[in-house]
Amino acid sequence: MSTTILDKVLIAAAFAAVAGVAQATEQVEQPAAVAVCATCHGEKGVSAAPIFPNLAGQHRNYIEHALQAYKSGARKNPIMAAQVAGLSDADIKQLAAWFSQQPPALYTLDPEAKTLQKE
Amino acid sequence: MKSARWAVALTAALVCSSAFAEGNAEAGKIKAYTCYGCHGILNYNNAYPTYHVPKLGGQHPEYIIAALQAYKKGERKHPTMTAQASSLSDQDIADIAAYISKAPELK
Repeated sequence: MSTTILDKVLIAAAFAAVAGVAQATEQVEQPAAVAVCATCHGEKGVSAAPIFPNLAGQHRNYIEHALQAYKSGARKNPIMAAQVAGLSDADIKQLAAWFSQQPPALYTLDPEAKTLQKE
Repeated sequence: MKSARWAVALTAALVCSSAFAEGNAEAGKIKAYTCYGCHGILNYNNAYPTYHVPKLGGQHPEYIIAALQAYKKGERKHPTMTAQASSLSDQDIADIAAYISKAPELK
């Protein structure tokens, strides 16, 4: 059986798909700006006190949206406003990637479930 | 610098904790029904701007209370969340937070 051009294209596509998945799940390096967040939210997004939200496993684009909202003043919180003031757009993207990829403390709710998960 | 951050963190934690009603998770289960329309769907998108609505399972009840109170008072703005929170009493908010923070996970 000879290898056709179509076969080659399919093989290339398969490799590309595998590479894409590998890239999507690749752990990002801890950005230096995590130091700004860690005191309250924890280095890996598990917070130091219950009034500070857990961030571990939160959606990446939600974290980015929240940080941009603090930065623009659309979302108001004195502590967060001070923390984000020094962050660039690139810092915000890196932080969102970092916290979203930590071992998740957060999950989506199950509408079908009947009982509490844990006490 | 680091100790200054801790001072801010601790002060905020002390001021914010214990200021709210005790939540009843069983009551909250019924009151949280509407929340699931968005927060109970994997990767559900906010329409505009586009981002996934936040995961709430495993979040601290104290933070969920603070968020709902901020929407209710208009300090935090989001059309849908403002509408939802405006009809909730302080007790409703505490009950919902108690339930949602421990509610089962959608896999």
